Amino acid sequence: MRFIPVICLLFGGWLALPVVAAEAQDWLERLADAGQSQSFQGTFVYERNGSFSTHRIWHRVDETGVVRERLMQLDGVEQEVLRVDGSTECVSGTLADQLDDQQAWSAHDLDSQRLLESYDLRIIGESRVAGRAAVVLALSPRDQHRYGVELHLDQESALPLKSLLLNDKGQLLERFQFTQLDVGTLPTDQELQSGTGCQPVTASKAAAEVVEAWRSDWLPPGFTLSRVAERRSPASNEQVASLVYFDGLARFSVFVEPLRGVMVEDARSQIGPTAAVSRRLATADGDVMVTVVGEIPLGTAERVALSMRAIEGQAIQ
Amino acid sequence: MSREALQESLSAVMDNEADEMELRRVLSASDDAELRATWSRYQIARAVMHKELLEPRLDIAAAVSAALADEDLPVQSKTVVRGPWRSVGRFAVAASVTVAVLAGVRLYNQDEVASTQLAQQAAQPAMSAPQAQSPAMLAGFSTASEQQGEAETASEATPGWHDQRLPAYLRQHAQQAAMNANESALPYARAASLESR
Repeated sequence: MRFIPVICLLFGGWLALPVVAAEAQDWLERLADAGQSQSFQGTFVYERNGSFSTHRIWHRVDETGVVRERLMQLDGVEQEVLRVDGSTECVSGTLADQLDDQQAWSAHDLDSQRLLESYDLRIIGESRVAGRAAVVLALSPRDQHRYGVELHLDQESALPLKSLLLNDKGQLLERFQFTQLDVGTLPTDQELQSGTGCQPVTASKAAAEVVEAWRSDWLPPGFTLSRVAERRSPASNEQVASLVYFDGLARFSVFVEPLRGVMVEDARSQIGPTAAVSRRLATADGDVMVTVVGEIPLGTAERVALSMRAIEGQAIQ
Repeated sequence: MSREALQESLSAVMDNEADEMELRRVLSASDDAELRATWSRYQIARAVMHKELLEPRLDIAAAVSAALADEDLPVQSKTVVRGPWRSVGRFAVAASVTVAVLAGVRLYNQDEVASTQLAQQAAQPAMSAPQAQSPAMLAGFSTASEQQGEAETASEATPGWHDQRLPAYLRQHAQQAAMNANESALPYARAASLESR
């Protein structure tokens, strides 16, 4: 029968796990630390279904430990971000839309312990990326609710040289890959100077008091709520609640927008690695549209969208 | 045809890997009690392996047949109608629910990654189409079959509702995402790729 080999594979996988896990985990910890301690600059490509772009990154760590980083798209529209110590200093035009706090692109520490609950971590070999020797880590999901990641880390610096996102059939959803990397060379002040199109980001103050008005009846195992926010709808004056869930590696956001009687149908779409599912939900206060956006399989996003509930007695304001 | 070959085909059908020949072979042998028992065993084994909840005694087909039997049929010869209907129906409904769910789940977790994959997908639902009637699909995956086209047609009621919001939602999501302090590059690139669409 065809599934007997599968059983062997499963057991084989479990037995082999502890032996290599320790070394693989060391690499993950080195990765988590790499950007905090090393300066580098390089060029990378980003590819997903329907999009291919090239970018340049300048990353400098001062003697005092201050991290300055500038990212710029090299082809097409000039898009740029400048970050200092994890908070965003300025962003260029279209990216700036909707950005109302400095926490965008905020740092979430890679929690290797937590990540291992949902992923099987293994070293699967060595490779060469951007002319540099790399070690290849595989993060295979333990269930069907998340995607796998293949990480190529620089042998010397543990910086991620290449990162592939793969679905359950092993098909490539997204590629991030350096084509050239220079480790140890400090980017100059001039290189870290943002262009004229880069608009300064000012901190917004009153984002603190957010009422937790929504919860999910079902979540994929390992995912927990990492952030709750509320902001104005991009298309109306309604307040949209947004919840971010995180499993140590993958992330999805849930947006809840009141419909106020407007007739809107459900929708679903897939943009490269990102699934987006909108589901209408009836509440005591009228219908709302629940939209789940994230790098998770469409079926999982759908199930999350169906599981959102209003917390009793706390209607949306 | 040997029983072994038949079981091989059955296994392939269950794994959704059967070609048309194999599917026909299994369907033509679907009256065989032993084959049906094997199918049922495979499902249990599969459910155990996937740690899924399975109630082997839950016989939807029997319940449906019973309900049909209670209905006053305009036909006089009830027994003649019921006999073949029940045996075929029982397998067909049970099989179609399973196949629909399996096909649905598979189809469901797909995306339009590559056109080659789309071609495969087109083949899978077609394969189960003779059994998987629409009510079976409705059981759990009501809109799975409309997955591909729906994003475009979704805004019929209020045109542009999703179009106005989805780009901003995607952007917000990309901006909130980051693997760790070092790896702001990937989410940034993701967000940037949305802008240059």
